[in-house]
Amino acid sequence: MTHDRWSSSDPELTNALRELYAAPADEQYWDSLEARIIAFVAAGQSDETESWWAAMADMARPGLAAAAMLIFAAGAALVHSRQLEVSNAYAAVINPAPPSVEAATTRSVATGDGDFAIHYIISR
Amino acid sequence: MLATAAPTTTYRMPSPSEGALAERAIVIAAQQGSDDAFAQLVRIHQRRAYAIVRAIVLSHEDAEDAVQEGFLHAHRALDRFRPDQPFGAWLYRIMANAALDLVRRRKVRQAEELPETIPMPFRDPAESGELKERLQEALTHLTNRQRSVIVMHDVEGFTHGEIGRTLGIPEGTARSDLHHARAALRRLLQNLRSRS
Repeated sequence: MTHDRWSSSDPELTNALRELYAAPADEQYWDSLEARIIAFVAAGQSDETESWWAAMADMARPGLAAAAMLIFAAGAALVHSRQLEVSNAYAAVINPAPPSVEAATTRSVATGDGDFAIHYIISR
Repeated sequence: MLATAAPTTTYRMPSPSEGALAERAIVIAAQQGSDDAFAQLVRIHQRRAYAIVRAIVLSHEDAEDAVQEGFLHAHRALDRFRPDQPFGAWLYRIMANAALDLVRRRKVRQAEELPETIPMPFRDPAESGELKERLQEALTHLTNRQRSVIVMHDVEGFTHGEIGRTLGIPEGTARSDLHHARAALRRLLQNLRSRS
């Protein structure tokens, strides 16, 4: 019994391991396991399909509610924007827009020219 | 939909030369939805798959569960498999993952349900022999990976490279795990071995 003996393979240990982990030798066992695997996979497949449909069904009700909420929100936004347009149109008619900067400048320049003419006449 | 009855047709194991081509045809047929082809893949690979998961889990019953779950995962992922790759390597990687997942779930359950108990190995009353009993106990002291590596190497005859690919670890790590597993078993079984 030495360290080296255990560091490499050890026939006694290997045999004990093989005995411990021996797979069933009976051919019928493997036929049975094969059938169980196939059945398990088939059941898993149908579970997957069912869960897909169940998930869709679960999603249908909240989906419809969300769609209704979206339609309601879109309608409200449309009505609001329409009301805004109408009120802006009324406001434009009732309160005319203030004169533009250009017009104000032109007028002030014109006023300036008038003053210059008056001063010129007086000075004469 | 897969039939649940046991298949009645017998599958002849192909020779290594024709095996790869034959298997590729079977895999393609299974990918196209043939239940018979998938059943053939199960028949071809179930023993090796069992050996791999048995190396990872602690009991025969868990190995059966892991094999079934592994094949279910493989069936669901079959359309993502490229037939020009070796099917066995792909399948055995799935099997190893299914077994590791099962071991993790068992540990969580043990931690939740029996916090005061020490995990004990599966014991078959029919098994006898002190070395075997001690070995079974000693194996529970190894890490999952060390146990898997030593069983896959010494019992199933996998190479370090095959072990690495199956468990998703570098070949050098598999070699190192094997060394440490043997050293740990030597230490754990020292008293027994020195008496004999």
